[in-house]
Amino acid sequence: MTTSNPAAVAAAVPSAQTPRARGRRKALDVSTVVVVAVVVVLLAILILYPLAAIFGQAFSPEGTSVIATVLTSAVNRQIVMNTFILGVLVGVLGTVLGFLLAYVQVKVAFKNKRLFHILCLLPVVSPPFAVATAIITLLGRRGIITHGLLGLETSIYGLPGLTLVLVLSFFPVAYMNFKGMLENLDPALDDASANLGASGWQTFWKVTLPMLVPGFAASFLLLFVEAIADLANPLVIGGDFTVLASRAYIAITGEYDVAAGAAYSLVLLMPAVLVFVVQQYWVSRTSTVTVTGKPAGKPRLIHDPRGRIPLLVVGVTILAVVVGIYLTVIIGAFTKILGVNNEFTLDNFRYVLSGIGNESILDTTLLAIIATPIAGVLGMVMAWLIVRKVKRGSGLLDFLGMLGLAVPGTVVGIGYAIAFNTPLRFTIGGTTIQLLPALGGGAAIFGGAMAIVMVYIIRSLPSGQRSGIAALQQIDPSIDEAAASLGAESFTTFRTITLPLIRPAFLAGLIYAFARSMTTLSPIIFITTPSTKIMTKQILAEVDAGRFGNAFAFCVLLLLIVVTVMGAMSLLLRGRNDVRTQNGAGA
Amino acid sequence: MIKRAWGVVAGAAALALSLGGCVVSNNPTASPGAGGEGTALSGKLTVACGAMEEVCDAWTKAFTAKTGVQTSFVRLSSGETVARLAASKAAPEFDVWHGGPADGYGAAAGQDLLEKYTPENASQIPDKYKDPNGYWNGVYVGALGFCSNAKVLKEKGVELPTSWDALLDPKLKSQISTAHPSTSGTAFTTLWTQVVLRGGEDQALDYMKKLHSNVLQYTKSGTAPGQIAGRGEVAVGLVFSHDCVLYKERGMSDLEVSFPAEGTGYEIGGVAVVKNGPNTAAAKAYANWALSAEAQEIGPTVGSYQLHTNPNAKNDPRMVDLNSIKLVDYDFAKAAAAKKQLTARFDAEVAAQPKS
Repeated sequence: MTTSNPAAVAAAVPSAQTPRARGRRKALDVSTVVVVAVVVVLLAILILYPLAAIFGQAFSPEGTSVIATVLTSAVNRQIVMNTFILGVLVGVLGTVLGFLLAYVQVKVAFKNKRLFHILCLLPVVSPPFAVATAIITLLGRRGIITHGLLGLETSIYGLPGLTLVLVLSFFPVAYMNFKGMLENLDPALDDASANLGASGWQTFWKVTLPMLVPGFAASFLLLFVEAIADLANPLVIGGDFTVLASRAYIAITGEYDVAAGAAYSLVLLMPAVLVFVVQQYWVSRTSTVTVTGKPAGKPRLIHDPRGRIPLLVVGVTILAVVVGIYLTVIIGAFTKILGVNNEFTLDNFRYVLSGIGNESILDTTLLAIIATPIAGVLGMVMAWLIVRKVKRGSGLLDFLGMLGLAVPGTVVGIGYAIAFNTPLRFTIGGTTIQLLPALGGGAAIFGGAMAIVMVYIIRSLPSGQRSGIAALQQIDPSIDEAAASLGAESFTTFRTITLPLIRPAFLAGLIYAFARSMTTLSPIIFITTPSTKIMTKQILAEVDAGRFGNAFAFCVLLLLIVVTVMGAMSLLLRGRNDVRTQNGAGA
Repeated sequence: MIKRAWGVVAGAAALALSLGGCVVSNNPTASPGAGGEGTALSGKLTVACGAMEEVCDAWTKAFTAKTGVQTSFVRLSSGETVARLAASKAAPEFDVWHGGPADGYGAAAGQDLLEKYTPENASQIPDKYKDPNGYWNGVYVGALGFCSNAKVLKEKGVELPTSWDALLDPKLKSQISTAHPSTSGTAFTTLWTQVVLRGGEDQALDYMKKLHSNVLQYTKSGTAPGQIAGRGEVAVGLVFSHDCVLYKERGMSDLEVSFPAEGTGYEIGGVAVVKNGPNTAAAKAYANWALSAEAQEIGPTVGSYQLHTNPNAKNDPRMVDLNSIKLVDYDFAKAAAAKKQLTARFDAEVAAQPKS
């Protein structure tokens, strides 16, 4: 360790918003304009057009009357309140959990880091119904643990169960965010702090934590939005606790009222927008540049047992719960009906791997593999434009990208059905110009597969975008400026400088995009066709038909596929020299 | 790494261009259903299927085998079907809708999504299983029943319930699972059955208020109560009896079906031709076939134990014997008309109340 150079600390602190940096951001070169135009056109097709198609319904007379009752009816006010409470609870708890695990992973000395990492990522693959069903089997009124072992008759349905399931399903997003950020923190800061006489705790509280503010904000926002837009879990384990997403779904499927469903979804967008605005305002005031391109040292790990042991105990406990849930799913796949009829059987796999099951496994995997790189790269390009390139309207661009997640899947699905079942045509002065052929539905090109890929992209774009933004906010724009002053065009800078620096965030985005695509259900229901069989929909059908063993077997296969592809992606992107160590090597 | 990433970016950009910039004046893929008129039973047929996966599969395969029409299906709940039919009204993707409760067919007819059609075989079906307006015809009937977990009932010291009032037993506190009537057609059938049996909405809500204390929670899905009872979380689930039989057969062996002696409600599963679908000729043939005894007898072979609407179809021993239970006089049109008002009252007067 040669550094602990106060200058490095000083260099790390100045704001990204200095006049110099602003001046640089203003100058848009041609390639940036082209990229912005392409991204905006893409987003317009992928999300704005279908949403416009459905939100038109929210402003029909029936729709507006529903919006009015949200304020006047006590039942509806309660639903809005429930949604908000759930979002905040999951946002806070999930962020804390993700941070804790990332901190343990990056900063604490222990063996088997690789295994720890994989276990932390496991819940990314939570097929609809799997986690909720496993929790009901383990902790419900007749749960294997609560009733079988402890003799209790607990109620897991409602807010507690829902919060537990959502936190366990979504914390990996926060973990990935924080892991990337913690690894990118300049170790010189810790050294400087220690040299100035700070204890480990003081360094954590006064140096590390403030650096991570964008990470906390990004995680909270993402988890909040994920939680309030989630549908499958509120349906399975929500009990009497109704949230806007389930209300919108019910309006459409139970009351045959698409206008009301669109109206509830429009209301659902409000809290998402609110949190988003708050986050923008709050984060933009704090700068946390840590990757300066200047020499840095090796990170120091916590060896002190006073910090190490409690941290490890907490981390291992959380992961034990995760492992318990996934073991339940795996055991469930090999039994007739777990908790009811625990006979061992291979029938579930035999059924799933024949005919219809096979087809859906292939179709789903193929479509997700097509969608993943597009979503991942689009997410990073968006993040780069938002943080670095576009000054005015960057907030709007960010929000556009987040829409795919913030709008409940049911609404996205119907929007797609309305928008893409017919060719998109414009008639100008007698000539009809066709912009797009029919992309969705049984009569569309590729048997409607294109619409499914598009849904996968917009549903998985936001996580990559958010982790990209959080990572970029840590990187000093002067690195970009150096490249620019050496004559690099802005897209060349993105490609050769920015992308390598945010590689962990990019990888996180890709992994999440794939897992998310494989597990998306609610929008898919409205755009599947006879020639596109989708696994999640088969799982739903199995649950409906009371064949839980088959549903679990599907989940296990889905898990295997995602883990395999995740591993392959990590290998592909990790194989090269690590940029961070190249930086550090100069020290 | 960099080269690869650049390639991917370029790919994405190319895709963006091909998506956004492609200007074509005529569309080669938009006319798949041409030639449906006149040519008898050819081409493809797409079914929106509201029944269980395996039945849908068996039905469509049997129709293909019989007629040579390539028949495929997408399995959808009835609300999803209505939403999808409405979304693609301009260029329908489905030809025919088969299975799923009749109130959904009513909603679709109300939005002008179905074609009025009375197949030849409809003459074999009793009038009470047919739409008086001629939009749909009944293919099966499901009777509402009590799906009890015998083991839990024994623990609680309660006999197998055989009347609606038996469900009010204080020993069954928090031991009954039913869906919410505004989210589930099954639960609305329960509610309307009370209206018929007790002679009015006020009396029906009075009963539901008393039942409220015994209800653990109102689930969103209509079939969930059967599964919750199957896991032993509650003693009794209120579901259509054929679902209970199926869950028992699938391994939830403690389940036991019983019916209320006062009378019980029922659902009718329908079949209807989609308006302006791509292959109307084949769709009409399918709708006619679906009413035949031959088509209806497929159900029990793949786990669907609803009753047949066609009196000529042979019964399966696992199906309910219609002579052993009493069905109430269920007026579907009246029930549908009252639904919105009644479920709103249920929300305010029953579901929101504290349990005693």
